[in-house]
Amino acid sequence: MKIEIVPASRFSIQELTDLYNQTRVDYLVPMPMSADRLMEYVRDFNVDLSRSCIARESDGQTLGLSMLGMRPGRGWVTRLGVLPGTRRHGVGAMLMDCMLENAEQAGVGEIILEVIQDNAPAYNLFLSKGFEEIGSWLVMRRAPRLVSAEPQGEIEALTREQALEALRAYPHHVTWINAYESMSNAPDVEGMRIQLPNGGRGWIVYRSHKYTLRYSLSHLVLHTEEGDPAEVGLQLLLNLHTQNPRHDTYAENIHTDDPHLVAFGELGYFKNFSRIEMRRKAGAPVNFPAV
Amino acid sequence: MAKILYIEDIEDNMTFVKRFLIPRGHELFWARNAESGLEMAFQVKPDLILLDLGLPDADGQTLSTWLRGEPMLETVPIVVLTAWPAEVARHTVEAYGLDGYLCKPFKINELIQLIDKLLEPTRHED
Repeated sequence: MKIEIVPASRFSIQELTDLYNQTRVDYLVPMPMSADRLMEYVRDFNVDLSRSCIARESDGQTLGLSMLGMRPGRGWVTRLGVLPGTRRHGVGAMLMDCMLENAEQAGVGEIILEVIQDNAPAYNLFLSKGFEEIGSWLVMRRAPRLVSAEPQGEIEALTREQALEALRAYPHHVTWINAYESMSNAPDVEGMRIQLPNGGRGWIVYRSHKYTLRYSLSHLVLHTEEGDPAEVGLQLLLNLHTQNPRHDTYAENIHTDDPHLVAFGELGYFKNFSRIEMRRKAGAPVNFPAV
Repeated sequence: MAKILYIEDIEDNMTFVKRFLIPRGHELFWARNAESGLEMAFQVKPDLILLDLGLPDADGQTLSTWLRGEPMLETVPIVVLTAWPAEVARHTVEAYGLDGYLCKPFKINELIQLIDKLLEPTRHED
């Protein structure tokens, strides 16, 4: 079949949503999207549809897509997917080549992406395109439930601006979706700062989404400025869930070495899946996959 | 027999299940996203809900908290039908207080047995 690559900006959000969902019907982690969610995704994560790519046959039949988030000096490959019946024909590799070319033309110094652990075909494709692993991250859930312990510490609610300012000064690496730029694109950022009697202190920044008449929490970033992260984290989460007892919570991309992990476990979070973060520096050589 | 609401975005999956539930006398109602699933649950007042976790507008876990948060629906059995790994499905069912799960692809007999068990009259007398 003859395949051509065209910019995603030629398609409507609904067409992109339909294609994306078709590429994921058999995916390891089911993640369909609605058009509204994809629009939010494009906005929040600086997806540049003019540099994002669609693969299609000469008769117009679409086969796959890949999206490119763009920020100064950095690019982010996301939503890469190929229709189940057309895999293993090089469509994914063509889409990746398009991403790399578009990013390099825009002067991007590094491109990053995340791949779900155990998605070997995608992982091997990224390796073959010069990406290397730089970290691993957990995606966790917590069902709404009352917390059993009394939260401690003095809590100060942060305004959206204060929460963003805290995140901007955060000294550790976060992935694209939890980065300051992503959160500053979102309207629903909140936070709280804690001071414990023993001197421990820190903050948590998160998003509080409204779905119809109900809320959920997501995009949590915790930071301990002083004291034991397990204790500061526990008290931050206790306070968060005491204040929001009916909120479903989606903690996405918490580093596997995050010192607050034990606190997540104590509050009833459980792992949904893991992601591997990968990076490619501009001009990195393309590798040939092992046979 | 029973009113069953299936919240699932992929029509083929619904059609597959429908083919086996209708002959058993069940009424099957289909919602293809979370928001319409919630609305339909209020309208239909189902005896049992089959829930896909991967929904396009809000995922099944979030939807289950909405359903469980409504007094009219809080005791309706919810069965998760999902492509997630079994361990994740089991954790989800436990954490969200749901009633059972089957990982896709599942055998239709497994689903029928699970539905029959959850709809047993004795269950309502507990």
